[in-house]
Amino acid sequence: MTKRYDVVVIGAGLGGLSAATRLAREGLSVLLLERHNVPGGYATSFVRGRYEFEVALHELSGMGKDGEPTGNTEYLRDLGVADGLEFVPVKDLYRSVFPGLDLRLPVGREAYTAALCDAFPSDADGIRRFLERVFALARDTVELEKTFASGRFGWRDVATAPFRFPNAARYLAVTWGHVLNRDVKGEAARAVLSQYWGYFGLPPSRMAFLYFAIALATYIRYGATYVRGRSQSLSNAFLAAFERWGGEARFNTPVARILTAAGRVTGVETEAGELIETARVVSNASPLTTAIDLLGPGAAPRAWLDRLGRETVGPSTVNVYLGVNRDVLAHGYTDHETFVNLSFDQEAHHAATLTLDAPPCCAVTCYNAVWPGVSPTGTSMVVLTALSRGEPWLALPPERYHETKARLGGQMLDLAERVLPGLRDATEVVEVSTPLTNMRFAATPGGSIYGFDQPPWSSTVLRHPARAPIEGLWLTGAWVQPGGGFEPCIVSGRMAAEGVVAARRKEARHA
Amino acid sequence: MRELPGVLQDLAAYGDVLLHVLGRTPAPDGARLPARAEVARVVERLHPRRMQMRLLETLDETPTTRTLRFERLDGALPPFRAGQYVSVLVSIGAVSTNRAYSISSAPGEPLLDVTVRRKPGGFVTEHLFTLVPGAHLETSGPTGAFVHEPLTDRGPLVFLAGGSGITPFRSMWRDFERRGMTQRVHLVFGVRTPREVIYHAELKALAARCPWFTYSVIVSEPTAKFRGRKGLLDAERLKAEVEDLQAARFFVCGPNAMRGLVETALSELGVPPHHVRRELYGPPSDVTLEPGWPDGLKGTARFRVTVEGHAPIEALAREPLLSCLERRGIVLPALCRSGECSACRARLLEGRVFLPSSARVREADAAHGYIHACVAYPISDLTLRLHPGSTLL
Repeated sequence: MTKRYDVVVIGAGLGGLSAATRLAREGLSVLLLERHNVPGGYATSFVRGRYEFEVALHELSGMGKDGEPTGNTEYLRDLGVADGLEFVPVKDLYRSVFPGLDLRLPVGREAYTAALCDAFPSDADGIRRFLERVFALARDTVELEKTFASGRFGWRDVATAPFRFPNAARYLAVTWGHVLNRDVKGEAARAVLSQYWGYFGLPPSRMAFLYFAIALATYIRYGATYVRGRSQSLSNAFLAAFERWGGEARFNTPVARILTAAGRVTGVETEAGELIETARVVSNASPLTTAIDLLGPGAAPRAWLDRLGRETVGPSTVNVYLGVNRDVLAHGYTDHETFVNLSFDQEAHHAATLTLDAPPCCAVTCYNAVWPGVSPTGTSMVVLTALSRGEPWLALPPERYHETKARLGGQMLDLAERVLPGLRDATEVVEVSTPLTNMRFAATPGGSIYGFDQPPWSSTVLRHPARAPIEGLWLTGAWVQPGGGFEPCIVSGRMAAEGVVAARRKEARHA
Repeated sequence: MRELPGVLQDLAAYGDVLLHVLGRTPAPDGARLPARAEVARVVERLHPRRMQMRLLETLDETPTTRTLRFERLDGALPPFRAGQYVSVLVSIGAVSTNRAYSISSAPGEPLLDVTVRRKPGGFVTEHLFTLVPGAHLETSGPTGAFVHEPLTDRGPLVFLAGGSGITPFRSMWRDFERRGMTQRVHLVFGVRTPREVIYHAELKALAARCPWFTYSVIVSEPTAKFRGRKGLLDAERLKAEVEDLQAARFFVCGPNAMRGLVETALSELGVPPHHVRRELYGPPSDVTLEPGWPDGLKGTARFRVTVEGHAPIEALAREPLLSCLERRGIVLPALCRSGECSACRARLLEGRVFLPSSARVREADAAHGYIHACVAYPISDLTLRLHPGSTLL
């Protein structure tokens, strides 16, 4: 054993960075180990020619509006992460394009509701009723979130929840589609209200109402932002703050095992064979990787493995990164986030993610709309995203990989051409990523971008907690509470860190 | 009261959730994902980090170039894209380093070729020329973005090759033929003397066999009796060679001097900049001539470079930090050695470096003091933080 740390954090994704920084801020000695050579996990960028592409971030939630702070902005400020970062507001939330329908959804509850009611007058009452539910729930969850983020959401909170948070309690078990379909009858209105489903990974019939509603309400109320300098600047800011608080980070250092003795964490072993002593580990690897591969045979309790076996791994993506030799803003294009859909049937869109068939919908993200400097003058950076699950890619014969990538990329380009005609001919640089790309660079099971799927039984309070059933082990990232997404990952790191801090206090009291 | 049926409906869903939480629901219908080992196998099959190679034969293409033909010992060759390169790892004396070489065989062929031009005094090429069949070598997996992009490169293709810059194009034309491509390809191959024409027999046969392929050899230093096309790859020549300058997609690979000439020519001819793809070609041959190099600073100036955890070393201003560190036995991951791939990302804690315009450092990395050591030149005493190891690379 070479050196001892209070805490070792495995993985420098946003969850790991958040936990590590919060713990270093607490004055603990923290070692952060990352297998890649750059921090951030998916919150990163890469360079091709004269373009630097955003890898993952579309719209960052939870950064407040007009200086109004949120739990997350306060947290980032307290850690010293916010210094030097600029969060640029996105003008419209999104643009929805369907056959015969093209609609922009603005920020602000009234404007959002009006846009929908104007477009779907026969559904107006239902839309208002439905959004009222969404916002009533969001009000509940402001309180809920405070309890949640403290890292001490226990059974007592669950027991009193029906009285303190009646809306949350009512909707905890239902799906988005269950509530939406009762209030809103038109398939077009339903599809536009559900347009963000791709941000959460499951179609309306299966996605947890609570998670979708809280996120949508947050987006509508505060709008979305993009971080200047791309999400790599957020990751780098975390790392810099972590190091300012005295944390130590090592890159190119994959962890082979978490060492345990008598059901307690005792250290970690790197793939290079180095042993590091610690009583506490925060793992930003997926719970599957942590329980099965890092803890090794026999270390994880049977019941935990059973629980993990009941979860399904969420979707990954095919991304087409386009460096475009044309300033699309100068040609009148203004939308940051556009969803292009070939039909209203989002259940069918979901079914397509389990195949390698032509994607029936994709997001077209033009970052210049929110930050013109994202690409050189006279050019644009456009990223196309379609959900795609890992399974068909793992079954694909390797020699067909490149042609399959090119085919899907071409099909997505055709979708994008519906809103950006001439895109293909103006393209200078193309790079296509697949679920296998995610598996390669982030070592994520299935290349999942949101961790486990988020049906009601694996969402919000019912999602896997930060605490693992091994003394001294916590989990962070999209796989655990509160769930998938940039902001939730940052919150998850905070929750794991608060858990560690609370456990240390408790131990100190006993000692 | 109107809400009551809805509330009851919503609460009824608790039954389902309870069954899940208690584990009374059968395993989910979503297909089970394979274990990590299985995933690693699939990813490794597509993108091996390292490949163990054995040299099977060497073929002298010209007096100064040789094709090294390898078989892979630790698995099948991965399905790469024509035009990509492998980074060859070598240990020469006490120095471990690597160099990127374009793959000159096509995807799907059972063996992997790289064609190497001997540079007199070249640290690595001289070593590669000493290898005899049976020799073992380690390489990276195939990587690189100098490829034909079927999504966008739809016009006639023009390959502009200078000297040993022809090698990735051989992979491409072989790949096109194997896949039955019919897109027109015209190769303009610039060499100094006719003796330097690599793959000449193959080019002739290909042009005779494939109506979609044509080529010209342009000789810059012809002998008196030479009767072929003479000159440089300048605007006049390219105008004569290429029918539709606006529609064509250009691929440029060759030494720095040739590239400079071609870039100027293409822009003079009004070729849209996004119709041109360029292969990376290592660090600048003389960094002191790069725009922005500090006035009056000699390439031979010496600075003290301290890597955290190591004794300080002396470094020449004109030498990339990566090479300087490697010669002192400090190895960090590296792949493209041209400033783009970011494998050799390092943190500059104190001091200053010069980065030429070919250095493609992420904006957020530049703001936080990160450099790409393969194209970073010391212009003051400095301190670096490295993360040696090597995982993806």
